[in-house]
Formats: sequence, C-alpha cells, structure tokens
Amino acid sequence: MSTYDIIVIGGGAGGLAAAQAAAANKTSVLLIEKDARLGGILNQCIHNGFGLHHYREELTGPEYAEKAIDELTDKTLNIRLNTTVTKLNKEEDRFFVTYMNKEEGERTVTAGACVLTTGSYERTRGAIALPGTRPRGIMTAGSAQRYINIDGYMVGKRILILGSGDIGLIMARRLTLEGAEVVGVAELLPHASGLTRNIVQCLHDFDIPLYLSHTVTDIKGKETLESVTLSAIDAKGRPKKDSEKHFDVDTLLLSVGLIPDTKTFDGITFKEDPRTGGAYVDQHFETSVSGLFASGNALHIHDLVDFVTEESLIAGKAANRYVHRLKNKKKNHIRVNPGEGIDYVLPQRIDTTSKKHPVTFSFRVKEENAQATLRLCQGERVILEKKRRFLTPPEMERLILPVKKTLDVETPLTLHLEVDEG
Amino acid sequence: MKKSMICIACPVGCHLEVDESLNVTGNRCKKGESYAVEEMTNPTRILTTTVAIDSRLQRRISVKSADPLPKAKLFDCMPVINKVRLDPPVKRGDIVVRNILDTGTDIIATRTIEE
Amino acid sequence: MYDFIIIGAGITGTMIARELSRYKTSVLVLEKENDVGNHATLANSAILHSGHDPKHGTMKARFCVEGNRLYDDLEAELGIPILKTGGLVLAKSEEETRILKKLKKNAEANKVPGVCLLGRESLLEKERRISDAVVMGLEVPTTSVTYPWEVALRAMENAIDNGVEFEKNETVRAIERTGDSLSVKTRNHTYKAKTVINAAGAFAGEIAAMIEDRVPYTVTPRRGEYLVLDRRVKGFISHTLYPVPGRKGKGTLLVPQVHGNILIGPTSVFQDALDEAPTTADGLAEIRRKANKLVSDIPFDKVIRTFAGIRASIDKKDFHIARSKEETDFIHVAGIDSPGLTAAPAIAKYVVETIIMKKTPLEKDPGFNPKIKTVTMYHDMDAAARNAAFQSDDRYGRVVCKCEMVTEADLINHIRRPLGADSVKALKKRARIGSGLCQGGFCEHEAVRILAETLGKKMTGIDYYAKDTPVLLKDTKAPS
Repeated sequence: MSTYDIIVIGGGAGGLAAAQAAAANKTSVLLIEKDARLGGILNQCIHNGFGLHHYREELTGPEYAEKAIDELTDKTLNIRLNTTVTKLNKEEDRFFVTYMNKEEGERTVTAGACVLTTGSYERTRGAIALPGTRPRGIMTAGSAQRYINIDGYMVGKRILILGSGDIGLIMARRLTLEGAEVVGVAELLPHASGLTRNIVQCLHDFDIPLYLSHTVTDIKGKETLESVTLSAIDAKGRPKKDSEKHFDVDTLLLSVGLIPDTKTFDGITFKEDPRTGGAYVDQHFETSVSGLFASGNALHIHDLVDFVTEESLIAGKAANRYVHRLKNKKKNHIRVNPGEGIDYVLPQRIDTTSKKHPVTFSFRVKEENAQATLRLCQGERVILEKKRRFLTPPEMERLILPVKKTLDVETPLTLHLEVDEG
Repeated sequence: MKKSMICIACPVGCHLEVDESLNVTGNRCKKGESYAVEEMTNPTRILTTTVAIDSRLQRRISVKSADPLPKAKLFDCMPVINKVRLDPPVKRGDIVVRNILDTGTDIIATRTIEE
Repeated sequence: MYDFIIIGAGITGTMIARELSRYKTSVLVLEKENDVGNHATLANSAILHSGHDPKHGTMKARFCVEGNRLYDDLEAELGIPILKTGGLVLAKSEEETRILKKLKKNAEANKVPGVCLLGRESLLEKERRISDAVVMGLEVPTTSVTYPWEVALRAMENAIDNGVEFEKNETVRAIERTGDSLSVKTRNHTYKAKTVINAAGAFAGEIAAMIEDRVPYTVTPRRGEYLVLDRRVKGFISHTLYPVPGRKGKGTLLVPQVHGNILIGPTSVFQDALDEAPTTADGLAEIRRKANKLVSDIPFDKVIRTFAGIRASIDKKDFHIARSKEETDFIHVAGIDSPGLTAAPAIAKYVVETIIMKKTPLEKDPGFNPKIKTVTMYHDMDAAARNAAFQSDDRYGRVVCKCEMVTEADLINHIRRPLGADSVKALKKRARIGSGLCQGGFCEHEAVRILAETLGKKMTGIDYYAKDTPVLLKDTKAPS
C-alpha cells in the first residue's frame, strides 16, 4: 500500500496552499483533485477581485489559481487529477484514504496526516423548501456559471436570481453581457449579502432591480419554467399578503448560500460546529481527530480567496509539523466562544501549550456596525482590544493574537463586540 | 439633474450625489470625490468574459481587458470577442484581441490552456 | 391491429403489460410522457403495504395482501430492490388505541401475517426514537419498501423482451369503435386493438370519456407532498412508521428508503389539476408538524428535496377494475391510489386471468422469460465484482456523482440499457445521479455531457425531462 506523509484532499485554492506548505522539507505529499485540472471553483470564477491581499494585485479567479499552481515546485509533491476520494478512515495512528480514477480503479493509500480542503457545495432548492412545481429551468448560480464559463452554453433567456450573495450578483452581470435578460435579483434579508462593489457593478450598471426582503413563494410551469412569484416578507420572515409580484421567466438561479463539503466521505467523523457547518478546529486547523486538518471553504465559508490561502498555508504547515513531531505532545485546549454581537468565531478552541505562533481568529458579526470595539476576554480579563470600522455580516473579519500574550490555561476565551455610540 | 451613486473606493460605501457641474456631496474623503467625477465623466470597467477555444478539455478560455474599458462600450465589445476562435496553446497574458474597438486596450487570456 | 392496447405506462400499465406478455398475444403500451412511470409511480411513499389498512372485502384489501407476496417473485425475476423494514402503526391516545385495535381486526380479516399489538416498552426496543406521545403500536411485519419507478421500468423492459411494443410521447386524443376493433388516436397516429385497457392514472376519467357517455366514476385528484432526507440519515429509523389512519387516508408517514434516504409525507389535499403537482409552504409545514408527533429529533436539516405527487383517486371507496358497461372491450383500471404500488402485480393478474380470460381465453407462451438482464451499479457491487468491472471497463474508475457514488460506466449502462435514459431526469431515475446532497450541483453538467456523447447528440439537444425541454439553450458564441 502506498504511503505518504500527508494527503491533501481537494486541489482548489485551499488545497494548493496546504499542499505547498505541507511539502516543505522533503515531506511526501499526495494532492487529490476530482476535476481534470487544479484550481477548484476559481477556474469558473472568471471575474476579477481576487488576490488583492495575498498577491497585492487584482486578479481573476483563473489567474489566481494559476499563480498558486505555479508555486507547487516541491519534488516530493504528487498530484492525482480526475480522482475522487470515496472513503477516509483512521486506524491507530494512520489515515487510510480510498480514491478512484480511471488509471488505477479503486485504491487505498495511507498517510500520517490529512488535510481536508474540499471546498463547499451550493445550498439547493430542496434544502430551502421552495414551493411550486419542479420544471426545467431551476438551477444554482454556480451550475449556470459552469455551463456558461467552462462549457460555453447559455441556460436561459429571461432570468430571475434568488439571493444577492456575490455569486448571484456576478451571474446577473455575466448573463446580461452574454445577451440574456435578468429581470431582477431577490434577497430575503433587508440588505444585500454581497459586496457593495458587486451591487454597483453587477446590478446598478445594468439597471437590474434588487428586491430586498423578498423571497420566492411560488414557481409555475409543468415541464419548463413559466413564472416565478416573489412576495415581500415581514420582520418575522413570513410572506406579506397582497405583496406578490409575478415574473415570466424561463430560468430561476439560486444563490442562497454555500455549505462546507465534508459530508460525502464514508468513514471518519469529527466534531462539527453547527454555526459554521464545518469542523471544530484549534489554531492550527487541527480537527477533533488528531492529524486531521481542515481549512478553506471546507471549514467555513469565506468571501475572499486570499484568506482561504492564508488559512490553508497555516494548516499545511501544521500538518507538516505534525508528521515530523518527535513525540505526542500533551495538549491543553480552552474553548473560544462567540460573545455579544458575534455570529461565529474560529478557531473554536486554542491549544495553550503551543506558544510559537500568533493566533489568527476569523469571525463574522451579527449586524452591520459603523464603528465598534472588539474585545477578546478570558472571564473578566481583557486579553486584546481593537477598534474596528464598517463591520458587516457578509465580510469575514480577522483578529490576530500576538505570541507574547499569555493565556490562562483553564478559562475559555470569548470574543465580544461593543458598538461605539456616536 | 443630480445623479446618485454608491462609492466603491473603500468599504465605507458613502452614498454620493453629483450634479451636472460635477459638484460632489456625501463623500467623506477625496477618493469619493474623484470616484464620482470619474463615474460621471468617464466611467470605466474591467471586462471579464470567455472566448471559444478548440481544446479537448474545455471549450472556453477566460479573458479580461488588460485595462478598464469605457463602460458604454462593453456591450459593443462582446460581439467582437465572441467572434474569436482560438487554438491551443494559449498562455495566460497572451493578447486575444488587440486594441479592441480602437480603445487602446487589449483583451488578454487569464489562463493557460496547453492542448 | 393489436389484441390489446394499454393506455398508461405507470406501475399499473406496465404490470398489466408484463402479465399479458406471458401469453401469445399482441400488446401495445401508449404513454403520453417521455418516460415510463412519470406521475403517481414517481411520487409516492415507495411502500409495499402489508394490507392492514384497506377495508376487508374490498379489492384494495385483497390485491394489497396478494401483491405484497408477489413482490418476492418480482425481486427474484426482475432484480428490483426491496428493503424489508417491517411496519409500525403508532397510536398517541386512547381514542387512537381503539382505532388501532379495530385496525388489527381488519388486518386479521385480510389475512395479513404476523400482526400484533405492542406496548410502549416493546415499541421503544424496536424504534428508540418514537416520540413521548406514542402509547401503543400495531406491528405489521410484512411491510417493505421498494424503488417504485424502477419496478415499472423493469416490468416494462421484461414485457418488451417478451414481445410487447411501447410508444412514448403518445397522448391519446380519441377512442372510437370502428367495426370489430377500437381505434385509438393520438396526434400523429391511429392504432387499432380488439381490447383497450385504461391504466391512465389521473387521466383515467378523461380517457374513459372518449368512449363512454357516462363514465362510472369521477377522478378526484389528491395531491401529496413529501420531504426527502439525505441518505446519510440511514439508521435513524428502521421501520416504516404510520400514524393511526384518518378520514383522509394513511396520514403522514416516515419511511426508510432502499438507498438509505428517509421519506416523510404525504399530505392529502384535493386539487383540480390532473398532472401538475406543486409543493406548497403549508403542505411542507404540515408534514413537519405531523411527523414530529410520531418521532423525536427528526434531522430536518438533512432535507435535500421536496416533491409532490397526485393520487389518481376516484369518488368511490375501492378501485374500479371492470369492463365498461357501454363498450365491453374497454377495460377500466381506475382509481389506483394507495395501495396501488403494492397491489399492482395482483391487479395485473386479476385483469388478465379474471376479466380478460373470462371473455377471451389466452394461450400461454412457452417462450415467456420472466427474468431480465439486470444492471448492477458499481456502488452495489462487492470488492471482487468491482475489480472485475473495472478490469473490463476503466470508466468504472471515474466517479461522476460523488454524493451517491455513481461512476461513468454506470451512467453509460443506464443510457444503453433497454428503455435507457435519454434525458437528465430519466438518468437520475435510473442511476441516482443528482439524487444526493448536492442535487446535481456538481454533476448535472456531466450527466448532460455523457448523455450527449453516448446518444450522439449535441449538448443543446439533451432534454431535462419532457421532450423538447433542453437544459442548455444555445452556444454562448453562436450568432444571435
């Protein structure tokens, strides 16, 4: 049975970074990717806005992916494309990964550590229980993006988009440029979920109406989509009477959220955070299973690929340290909890015995705030305090805890947000 | 006649108003003022799209305008780009349409397709 | 000229076709949709009921019990999957317990084997997740679950192997007597037969009205909505769970499915439309409410799909299976709502051996082969079979649908098999692609590509489901 030091599952932005970091010091790494090329979802994200932080230039998705691929120079890095992982197990101290491809059939290999960088999948119509008929013409925004940008086919002529997240906004523009009529974008919340820049350049530029506090309440059409009904919703999320708007469209695109894709392996289970949909991890991105790391969208949904890269470099480095460790160190974990005003914070626990590296906390706030103070506390004691401006739920934020800050080894950490008045 | 817009120069997103004489209100800094003036006098956008390519792995290659193009010309650029047929190999950065519609801007490939 | 034309290729029509193919006789099946089993057969609970519920003395009762037994033969002959879950009918009050006891008597009269009443303690041993409200249960051990459209597909395939002809996308518009035969007219064709069998489901009334002045029943469509939970909830419950039946029917059930999913539903609401079955916010909410009464902590976060179906109910308390009184060579097989799936093989036997044979003796065909060549999917093979499969075709190595572990070779097999898939949804019905967590988000484009390549069509020529419903409209660089 073939053996590697580290197996990285998923060759998108997360996997490219994790594999690069994992392969340092002649460490043998196997990077497994299900598609015909590396790059993951970046390959179909042909728009720009990527790389401002990590590469200090504005790049399109494919350019970002290629730069990351070009950085994979270690000779101890092995890559398998067109290969799908079907099982992941851990027995004693080894991981067993079963994968399939056309050259080898079904094969099992082992490793001392694994990194899950499998990205995410789109929330489906069924998962949000959209009522109505089930005709041709309803798909996720990402599916439409793939058909148009990779395969080169149009999916519809008159299109309504549900969800004002970035994918929905980007597709509104893309479809319009390729000659379709986008009749509107509907958003459940009272504010748009995507970046303001995208609202301006994807909707305002093309006079595409945005229906805030609206959702789809009916879908009609026997075999092909004929019309979609939007209703305004009240503060409790219930459709308002007599607020229906009917749109005659042949296509409805759903851009209603992403979900970490770590559920399709048989075998391994790890502790999951219901708030993020991904694993519980510590500051090294190690999950509740020793030697199993997770980062990128497979861990929690990001808005900037640059942070996926940075997170995954840490995870890859940590996996590298893990396989070269001389002995099993005893760890001491303290919980990290989201406090007032914070939706979730990662990592969900810290190993206080690991003192060599600063800890980067990633978090999302619950509401928009023009100006606020963030406090990382242990009980009453304030460990770190920072003022921040323009915090909004669609934008993931980060807070760095420097190495020099000492932590109490028993008390949980809580991240609070206090809105500054005036 | 005043035009309303949201500034995208930084995450604040000031709601701006500009009149025909290019007087800008609502901005909190100079970047907003220059953004508003640009948007009124010469709005430009980077165009990202795809071009047909005869590759066995995928039928399309992603491209972008090397510099921002006048916003009003985007729809006119599309048919020009849509007529192009490429053969591999094409490298990231290769010029796919030179000086599109006489704007002085090239359309370049944003990925490499070898076969 | 055919001896028999069957209108409708749902579970009823396909079973009758197969039954007739045991004899030396010519049969044509006409189906208005683009595939076998598109309506009620596609949207039901998939349960093979024990027969505890239908009123003793009805055809429903008789055929349900008989059909339940006949499915063992079908499993062996057609290779259809059957999950032997057993069933539990759960009572939450004294009043419901009284009904349960009456149900037990009815079941015993129907000769349903193994029925017994269980107290809460025993119920908890069998299903530890039943809710606190449940006080008593009726065990109906012969309850199982199958994959209904696969049953119809394989029955039709077997019928075709044995000489039956099948035409899809043929909507019957008129039926008239012309001399010694009946003429069945569709838009572009006229077919003739000595006998016409009406197995048109929700459209049975419309079809009958083409030849009768007074149709002896009225179709009263009732919509049922369902929730589908991802197959990774497998093991959450192991039995088919029923509430105590009410006026509107069996109620909202929780049903383990053959691939591991759990189905929750249906509701029961009258509607006018015969073949459009929308889901509704009220209906889906009702399912959750009712299911929560029977079982605790249902993982509703694992819902991946909702759908609805139409029961071809009629305004009578039983199936209407009889020759027309106005046109004796027109046979009604109408009102096939629950337990239609279970009863189907028994209905088929009754139609052929009793109704048809009484007037027209048929000669058995010694060449009849009850078995079909089954297509085993990679994920159902053991290690040795998988290895052999890969050695013979390396496309078994390429996983296309990772949520349900479907390989490229599996898809090609299901396109090439008799009655193979020629649309995205037809491929989903046969090969599970798109039935999982991502609902086709990752793999629908592969399904379209593989269909196009295998069928020799353009990508823009692949339909979603019905004829002329292409998934992709045109090439993005095509001149407009």
